[in-house]
Amino acid sequence: MTRWWSCFRTALRFALIEQACNRLALLIVVLFVPLWTTLAYTVVPSTPLRFRIRPVGRTVVMDGNILLQINGALQALSLVIAFMMFVGTARSALFDQRLVRAGYPRSCLALAKCTALLMITAVVAAYTTGWMRLFWRPEQSLVLAAGMFSGALVYGGVGIVLAAVVRSELAGMFLAIMISSIDLVLQNPLINPAADSPVVRFLPAYAAVQTSVAAAGLQVVPVSCLLLGSGWAVGVAALGMAAFTARTRSHHPPVATNTAATDVEQTAPVP
Amino acid sequence: MEGEVLSAVGPVLGVRDLRKDYRQRPVLRGVSLDLYPGQLAGIVGENGSGKSTLLRILAGDLAADSGTVERAGLLGCCPQETVLHQAFTVAQHLRFFQAAYGLSHLTRAFELLEQLNLSDYRHERVAALSGGTRQKLNLVLALIHDPQVLLLDEPYQGFDWETYLRFWDLAGALRDRGCAVLVVSHLAYDASRLDILYRLQAGVLRQPEQPEPGVVAV
Repeated sequence: MTRWWSCFRTALRFALIEQACNRLALLIVVLFVPLWTTLAYTVVPSTPLRFRIRPVGRTVVMDGNILLQINGALQALSLVIAFMMFVGTARSALFDQRLVRAGYPRSCLALAKCTALLMITAVVAAYTTGWMRLFWRPEQSLVLAAGMFSGALVYGGVGIVLAAVVRSELAGMFLAIMISSIDLVLQNPLINPAADSPVVRFLPAYAAVQTSVAAAGLQVVPVSCLLLGSGWAVGVAALGMAAFTARTRSHHPPVATNTAATDVEQTAPVP
Repeated sequence: MEGEVLSAVGPVLGVRDLRKDYRQRPVLRGVSLDLYPGQLAGIVGENGSGKSTLLRILAGDLAADSGTVERAGLLGCCPQETVLHQAFTVAQHLRFFQAAYGLSHLTRAFELLEQLNLSDYRHERVAALSGGTRQKLNLVLALIHDPQVLLLDEPYQGFDWETYLRFWDLAGALRDRGCAVLVVSHLAYDASRLDILYRLQAGVLRQPEQPEPGVVAV
């Protein structure tokens, strides 16, 4: 158990170092998120729009620029976390494979990647919520951050899964952008007035959008949405980890007993 | 003479009738070989002769269609392409592999860095290293746990002459420590440094040759 924890700590530390070395992703977080939230709030008209929050059975009427800012922040967050996880997983694929073959516990590497994803996503979601709070006061800031967190987490998992199925970084990011565009454009009340159609319930970021809008305009905590968002995140992460396990599987031959190995050393010829 | 002594010990790597096809095309057609402790063996073959496939099966990267591989003791593998992480420093690589191999210290790793003139790069990120320096680290990672069986795929690719000579000194030292070393290459300069040289042709491993001094096997 001690070795397992030691390996886990090492893997987590290096997973965080690995993400810290992705300067482009950090630059996108630091610059792009504030830019996008500022533009969405200041450029888009504040014409009131209605939005159905299905899990609590209520419809809110909110300023269009706030709704678009929430939607846009979720998209920016989802894409940057998908990018970070995709690049991190794809670039370390062969290295992870070598580590596992050398005896590194696969579960440590997999859990360290998931923990790094949780930690980074939490920080980025809090940062984004903080930026939005500069423009308006959500009814429940913590729940808004939780909504952002769950949406980004789902796309972090998507990034891990895509890294397992496509080799090129360009193809991976293109797919992530396409999935996220379909998902969030269909839920944008400004572009699609029927964004509260029942069909959107099956989209990956549905729970995240519903939670975030509910947090912005209501005092009610949409528990079922938070659970649904967690379910999506766990499901996608489990798919990613299954892909990771398949990729790092080994076909090692049976190893003889230690006695044989010891004999080998003792009888080695010395010229 | 040496063979008799080794036979009494028994092979640390025993390969029997290994076969592998890729899309109906046979790559390995019944490969068998024994590798003994303290033996420095080489396998040469043209491009596409099945060398890398054989090594990947021996390393556990790939499953054979049929045949058996039996190994005694710890395995060390140095892949042909450098398998390192661009974001980590040399020291961080060593720390990661120390955990992988379950080593209590890195004394052997530091010795190897010294032998390969790599100590000055300990805190450099891999992204900033030259191709030859990366290859040295690639090799060190396969050796720090003192393996009993060592598989090296084109290990001196990218080495300068000095490092190439150091590599053979290191291979000799490993043999002296009782390590069984298998070097796979498309050409084997200095074949005389090997105890035994196999030739892989069209998926078949030819009977062992006793390398002659100065022979260059192609």
